[in-house]
Amino acid sequence: MPESCEETVTLTGDLHARPAGALSVAAAKFAAAVRLAVQPAAEGASGAEGVREADAKSVLAVMQLGASSGQRVTVRAVGPDARDAVAAVIGVLADATKVGD
Amino acid sequence: MAAKVGIVLVSHSAPLAEGTAELAGQVGGEAVTIAAAGGTDDGRLGTSIGKVQRALILAETGAGVVILPDLGSSVLTVRTLLAEPEDLPGQVAVADAPFVEGAVAAAVTAAAGGDLKAVLDAAQEARHARKL
Repeated sequence: MPESCEETVTLTGDLHARPAGALSVAAAKFAAAVRLAVQPAAEGASGAEGVREADAKSVLAVMQLGASSGQRVTVRAVGPDARDAVAAVIGVLADATKVGD
Repeated sequence: MAAKVGIVLVSHSAPLAEGTAELAGQVGGEAVTIAAAGGTDDGRLGTSIGKVQRALILAETGAGVVILPDLGSSVLTVRTLLAEPEDLPGQVAVADAPFVEGAVAAAVTAAAGGDLKAVLDAAQEARHARKL
């Protein structure tokens, strides 16, 4: 069974091109598959239909998510270094979205 | 630290190549060498084999180089160069990819330490990326 790990944060800034780049650079250093899931902005939006997902290692897919300040993002990794991968990506999300674009 | 794959951007326009290099460098971080080869030797719109050769030498730091041509004769110029592989500074791969998206995706994968094939694949996967 490959290790899997998941953690959720609320963005404090928009996930613009530069933070998206930093996130994908961080994610791509790990063997684990890493995905981001962005919850819809509106509280109480129904079910999973508003959730958008992307491969964290693809910067273009991450940018296409258009995740913005206040949205909740779940980082999910599966693989031998899943725990470290999630920690690294959460770290980038916490840091990089503070500096704006 | 291991050498990173370099990137060469070949455009008809010097400002287009330089601006795309700047943008891809900002998104990917400073760890990757992205060399611009835009315009003719006398500063007009067009391509220059000499500029591409100089950019290749700059971008080759030991892990190979991915070249992204923009349109038409940029591709021809690159093909002309690749026809003489003994003149190349190292391993070179040409990406069939959208110019801006391909450059950004390649820069990120190169910054993360991806090898020549990984960087080439990242650039070419940009063909399928939606922006809306």
